[in-house]
Amino acid sequence: MKLTTTILALAAILVTGCKPSAPSGSGSSGKKKVAFVTNGVASFWTIASAGVKAAGEKFGVDAQTLMPAEGIVGQKRMIEDLLTRGIDGIAVSPIDPANQTGLLNEAAKRTKLVTHDSDAPDSARLIYIGMDNYKAGRLCGDLVREAMPKGGSVMIFIGRLEQDNAKRRRQGTIDAILGRPENPANFDPPGTVLEGNGFKILGTLTDEFNFAKGKANVEDTLAKHPDVNCMVGLFAYNPPLMLEVLQQAGKLGQVKMIAFDEDDATLAGIQKGTVHGTVVQNPYMYGFKSVEVLAELAKGNNAVIPANKFIDIPARQIRKDNVDEFWADLKAKTGSGK
Amino acid sequence: MKKILGITALLALVCIITAILSEGFLSGYNIENLARRTALLGIISIGVAFVIITGGIDLSVGSVVCLVGCGLPWLLTKQNWSMPAALAAVALVSVGIGIFHGVIITKLRIAPFVVTLCGLMMYRGIARGFTQDQTVGFGGEFTGLRTLATGQISIPFVDGFTLPAPCVFLLVAALLAAIFLNRTIWGRYMLALGRNEEAARYSGINTDRMVIVAYVICSALSGLGGMLYVLDSNTAQPVDFGNFYELYAIAAAVLGGCSLRGGEGTIVGILVGAALIMVLRNMIMLTTNYTNIEFAIIGAVLLIGVIADELVKRYAMRRRAARALLAETKPS
Repeated sequence: MKLTTTILALAAILVTGCKPSAPSGSGSSGKKKVAFVTNGVASFWTIASAGVKAAGEKFGVDAQTLMPAEGIVGQKRMIEDLLTRGIDGIAVSPIDPANQTGLLNEAAKRTKLVTHDSDAPDSARLIYIGMDNYKAGRLCGDLVREAMPKGGSVMIFIGRLEQDNAKRRRQGTIDAILGRPENPANFDPPGTVLEGNGFKILGTLTDEFNFAKGKANVEDTLAKHPDVNCMVGLFAYNPPLMLEVLQQAGKLGQVKMIAFDEDDATLAGIQKGTVHGTVVQNPYMYGFKSVEVLAELAKGNNAVIPANKFIDIPARQIRKDNVDEFWADLKAKTGSGK
Repeated sequence: MKKILGITALLALVCIITAILSEGFLSGYNIENLARRTALLGIISIGVAFVIITGGIDLSVGSVVCLVGCGLPWLLTKQNWSMPAALAAVALVSVGIGIFHGVIITKLRIAPFVVTLCGLMMYRGIARGFTQDQTVGFGGEFTGLRTLATGQISIPFVDGFTLPAPCVFLLVAALLAAIFLNRTIWGRYMLALGRNEEAARYSGINTDRMVIVAYVICSALSGLGGMLYVLDSNTAQPVDFGNFYELYAIAAAVLGGCSLRGGEGTIVGILVGAALIMVLRNMIMLTTNYTNIEFAIIGAVLLIGVIADELVKRYAMRRRAARALLAETKPS
């Protein structure tokens, strides 16, 4: 019996000691509670959580950011527990939208559910808040044309083409370079050489997230097309690999570079002038807008949902003139600048 | 028996505190979620407990969960295997891994830690290889098969709560394991060899065979767990599916009274240990906004539980020794 009492006493001390001072049970604060669930732990989401916090304060809701550290199983557990808590709204970036429909529909039945960052169009979610990758790709293509007003040859590098966001991002880039009208349904096979508008797109090389292969792709391109004018890296890790190869080959600055996302090496390259520009998403607004929409929905205001069930958080172009400001803001939001 | 009492009291305490702090805790929905999560963790914990009871360790549990969890949907949806063939394949692979571990450990005399650590790396690597790091899932298909994990069994006279199907697997596995461990000669051999392998060998027990059996049970249950996990979540990412599960399973087994030195352990205790881990995580989600520190809280609670347990055991031993000494010195 001694054993039991000892453990009970120790556990009681610990558990009461860990109890948060903030009211956490439902109803005690009277505020609506909403949650922003990410698809993992990343600095991208730290920026989004700053937006979640700001919107929570502005719209008077108790807004929380949850980052599942254990993939799909962890995300499922978090959503289930949020439903148990009687949460008033959930914004989620589903890790595998096609296969998580069951879970998302269960959540949609019990609370207000919206998707952000990555959509699950087959589920009963109320709205998708995020970026249109086709449009973001077009911004990238515009940067290519801006860097090379007289045209030239272009090679595109990307992780893989199986996922929808990658496909759309690449197609947007190609369509903008070639000056085609907007049509997200286009698809050019990766191996074909495309010409138009004074540009020649040599092809699209994928690396399946294998950095060594990604680097080899750039090296092989330089060997095969020594006179290539421009390289476009569409996944966050592509531009740093391209920079490394160009540096080793002594071609930094000779080959124009267009990037995507905000890797430190990419931003440093823009500062130095070795990268012409990059296209960045706006995770802060993902967080802010999600909480705003959930707060309105929780109040019963369904007018926040547009007919097409999509709120576009447009991507932005970053060039030499605004890179310092962007980077400082990024550091402030991720807390790394403090 | 005392060990189970302590851990059960801790579980009850955590449940009571959570129920007071969160009104949702005792809802049928939450109890169902907890029962399902406990069942899934319990199944792999029982497996690893057999290995621990023989004085070994299996670090490959999470990777076997990943291999089977990714392998099953991959075979069914990408390779278009028939369901019986795919199920047989994952079962064979799971059992084969157990035999592989057991044989290397007993015949080549290589430490279980090393063998299964290499397994931990290999099986996840293999899963990432054949899936090419792509997420694999069942889509909207195989709903019949998925009821093995997602099915709900209604209990007569009980409203608002249905028993999640994985609990049935857990109950069957636990019952068989308890009978095997306590009521069969093989089970007694396992406990004996865990306490003192040489003594067991000199008593005529084929210890090698028993060790291999323990690793096979462990891998087979890990495979079963992996299958149920993926049927439940409908999708698996090879890069993190089942990550760290070996450590949860070992924690549940140790909490439940298994000694890492071998020779000790009860099945009921392991189930209570698994439940405690899942309830702690649930408590943190339901009552706080600090889910990122949940491992710190779980780790601290578990450590305090184990330390308290050890201190009390020593205290009891000293008192017994003192009483024995007193009885000796006192002339009757």
